[in-house]
Amino acid sequence: MAFPVFAKLLANMSVELDPDAALMLRVKQGESGAFAELVDKYKQPVMNVAYRMLRDATEAEDLAQNVFIQVHKSAQRYEVASKFSTWLFTIARNLCLNEIRRRSRHLTSSLDAPHPDHEDQPLHQFEDIKTASPPESLLHGELEAKITQVLGELPENQRLAIVLCRQEELSYEEIAKVLGCSVSATKSLIHRGRETLKEKLKPYLRTGQWQDSK
Amino acid sequence: MTNDPLYKELRELSWRRKLTASEEGELRAWLAAHPEAQADWEIDAGLNDALGRLPDAPLASNFTARVLQAVERDAAAESRRQKVTWRLAGLLRWLPRAAVAAVVLGAGLLSYHQVLHARRMKLAESVAVVSNVSSLPGPDVLRDFDAIRALNPTRTADEALLAALK
Repeated sequence: MAFPVFAKLLANMSVELDPDAALMLRVKQGESGAFAELVDKYKQPVMNVAYRMLRDATEAEDLAQNVFIQVHKSAQRYEVASKFSTWLFTIARNLCLNEIRRRSRHLTSSLDAPHPDHEDQPLHQFEDIKTASPPESLLHGELEAKITQVLGELPENQRLAIVLCRQEELSYEEIAKVLGCSVSATKSLIHRGRETLKEKLKPYLRTGQWQDSK
Repeated sequence: MTNDPLYKELRELSWRRKLTASEEGELRAWLAAHPEAQADWEIDAGLNDALGRLPDAPLASNFTARVLQAVERDAAAESRRQKVTWRLAGLLRWLPRAAVAAVVLGAGLLSYHQVLHARRMKLAESVAVVSNVSSLPGPDVLRDFDAIRALNPTRTADEALLAALK
């Protein structure tokens, strides 16, 4: 008799700690206003994850929409077991990985295939980013493009770990839950991804801001 | 690359968010004591800065409205699917009863047909029996029937006399 009451009290406490979970419980009861509130709050973070994973704005927006549609469809099964954002980004991760795997099944062109019109040139050309130190007047847009390119070349799990790491509302424990691995494995993924990024972007990274002025 | 717990903790915090003033102070103090780690930290901080400067992905201004419309469309489609499913379920619920009724009706019709057939067979047999009887005399035999009957009246037995004689 006491246990269900205790469980309900615990759930209510969790809801009090996570306002998004409270909104989701209202969505479960059919409140469309609560759902719109959640979409407004998380549309940009979800879109950022989708965009960094898929590297195509149109497809990323479609996927982001599907994430929220899936959230709505799964509302009846939602339980306040973890933070709403953890659940949300887990759905986003699954849809991103499904889409990446779907693409890889349909990708048949060889990276070394020659260009049909210019046989002395390859079909796919990739910019060589190992250049000499760029001038300090390097436009920010170019740096952004470089980071985007190098980030896109990371393995999926490292890329996703680094992208999720940028979501300030997620702790390492929550990122680990989204990725489906331990906290130490998560930090290892982030570390390895960052080492690759640092190696490829070293000439472009701002340094000196932490040096003590003497 | 140093594995000092404090440096490691602060570095991992910096990956997720900007360090607080207190955390920055701790880090500066540690770097002052470990100058060999300064260059490594500078690169790490540079990457944090670059990643932090990445702009948000482009997003349509009516994104929320489109999501809500898609959800409504899905809900309407699901409602239609459920109606069809319910109708089918209703039909399937009546199907066994209809099957039983069909079987009973079929059995009844078959029985009726068999009874009818049996009667016809019996009638046919009767007709066959009658058709085997030798031909009867013609109506001329009955021409003087009344006169003959008057000449030889049929006597009934004198039951009283028979009883007395016993």
